[in-house]
Amino acid sequence: MKGRISLSRIAGRVSVGLLLLLLPAVPISAEDARELILAAYSVPKEAYERKIIPAFQRYWKQRTGQTVRVRSSYGASGAQARAILGGFEADVAALSLESDLDQIAKAGAISHDWRKGPHGGVITTSVVAFGTRKGNPKGIATWEDLARPGVEVLYPNPKTSGGAMWDIVAIYGAGLKLWAQQVGPGRSADGAAAEAYAAGLLKRIQRNVKVMDKSGRESVTTFERGIGDVIVTYENELLPRVWSGRPYEIIVPSETLLIENPVAVVDRHVDRHKVRDVAEAFVAFLHSDEAQAAFAELGFRPVNQAATVRARGAFPRPANLFTIADLGGWDAVRARLFGPQGLWTKTVEELARDG
Amino acid sequence: MRSRRVIQLALRSAAVGYVVCLILLPLSALGREALVAGPGRFVEDVTQPQALAALTLTLETALITTVIHAVLGTISAVVLVRYEFPGKWFLNALVDLPFAIPTLVAGLMIAAIYGPTGVLGAWLQDRGLAILYEKPGIVLAMLFVTMPFTIRALQPVLIELEREPEEAAFTLGASPWTTFWTVTVPSVLPGLLTGVFLTFVRALGEFGAIVIVAGNIPMKTQVASVYVYGEIESYNPRGATSVSIAILAVSFLALVLLERLTRPPGERMPALLRPRGRAPMTVAS
Repeated sequence: MKGRISLSRIAGRVSVGLLLLLLPAVPISAEDARELILAAYSVPKEAYERKIIPAFQRYWKQRTGQTVRVRSSYGASGAQARAILGGFEADVAALSLESDLDQIAKAGAISHDWRKGPHGGVITTSVVAFGTRKGNPKGIATWEDLARPGVEVLYPNPKTSGGAMWDIVAIYGAGLKLWAQQVGPGRSADGAAAEAYAAGLLKRIQRNVKVMDKSGRESVTTFERGIGDVIVTYENELLPRVWSGRPYEIIVPSETLLIENPVAVVDRHVDRHKVRDVAEAFVAFLHSDEAQAAFAELGFRPVNQAATVRARGAFPRPANLFTIADLGGWDAVRARLFGPQGLWTKTVEELARDG
Repeated sequence: MRSRRVIQLALRSAAVGYVVCLILLPLSALGREALVAGPGRFVEDVTQPQALAALTLTLETALITTVIHAVLGTISAVVLVRYEFPGKWFLNALVDLPFAIPTLVAGLMIAAIYGPTGVLGAWLQDRGLAILYEKPGIVLAMLFVTMPFTIRALQPVLIELEREPEEAAFTLGASPWTTFWTVTVPSVLPGLLTGVFLTFVRALGEFGAIVIVAGNIPMKTQVASVYVYGEIESYNPRGATSVSIAILAVSFLALVLLERLTRPPGERMPALLRPRGRAPMTVAS
């Protein structure tokens, strides 16, 4: 009898002790606490960490009374996709390239059609733009200016940087547009001639490229180190730097590519973690005015027009903006430009042969 | 007696296990992937123009690096062993620094000095000399990360070296320079070869410093390791594996060659690794 009492007392003390140990880790009982794992590419990190995640946590608490803990990881878009393919159990993937989401979808982890979401599954957009030195000493205005002899151009390597793929596709697409303008309106452009002009433009610009960094960020660092006259990169990579007083000029060419950054719920992981409701609400929240304004503060062009107005000034809309879809979608563009027989691959080989 | 044998066996298997786990296992994983792909695919991957250009550039720059270190490293080692001068201890300590700092940081340091905003870089640019983002930049990065090999391989051999043959050559009328190249260098050849080969294989695989310092333009300034990284990033692990194996094969051949060159006939171990004192130094007659 006596022994039994002391045993239960010990058990009680131990369990109290265990609870005390657990307290700092789990502030509320398990039913009220939810956890969401976000895998994002690194550029919008600040918007997520400072604004969007805290706002979503408040929103979810208000709506359901539950506390959400968001564990977020940031890295290069491709590296995040590969991590998820390799077993990183992210519930939401917010990446810079559609094709990175498609890789996850191909492996079966994303089973729904994420393009059916609001704004086609895209949460932020930007355009391919030029950054030049203060006062634009080389008078850069169009893509043709990048091809002039003596102009040093920077963009990263498309093999390692999604950003560089956008840049090179922008050159190619702009080439097609410029050719159509030269031919004149009304006359249907000769496809092969337009293609040849775009290829020529790409070759003449690639010839001026001095350094191809691993990523867009590194390319900007190289530019800041004093290399190059023009950097081709996302507008949102340049805007915050100019706002913080760095001595660049941003030039948005009239023919340029709309960059779209997608987001998707990773079905396999949300079902395993039983957080589908939280994950879907989070993705919907990313389209809200509040989240869109946070992205706009980082220099992204919001997909939600109301937020654009609240952002610092309006973003100038280029006259001849085109999208990846206009060029046939990423799969087609990737094969046409970056495959083993692709235009860019061949251009680099030709330039090496020419010496 | 028996316990001693048990200890011996345990030690031996520990050593074998250590090497197998750390080196052979990852290596065999790479080999397996290559075997799955098949030799035809390997040849196809490696002969892609960009891959071939990257491999050629890597071999070329690594060879240049090796030659520079073979000459200047040997001279530095002799100076560090034979001469006394103020600050020698500091210089000696500096030699190992490239091993102690991350190679990425080494790249940043080189970029800061030779970049257009760096003092030296601006001066060179005014004279039309391009170092950074061109081939010399790659060699510079390789030289930096392989700095210790030749010097550190030569120093102990030079310390052990008997001076009589040199003195004899000198008194027989050979110039200091002739003495150095015909007596000193052949005597320390095993050490020199070890340093030179390690320099070469280490230079082949360098990534961190080069990726910062080179322009990384395919077929111009892109080395093999950077090419491999690009293929991994663009979802082409097979192409990456093939080129990795090509580098690995060159390194392996170089190390086998080194082993053959430094092992006198009939010996089980390379001369350099034999216990000191027993090592017969071959003197050119």
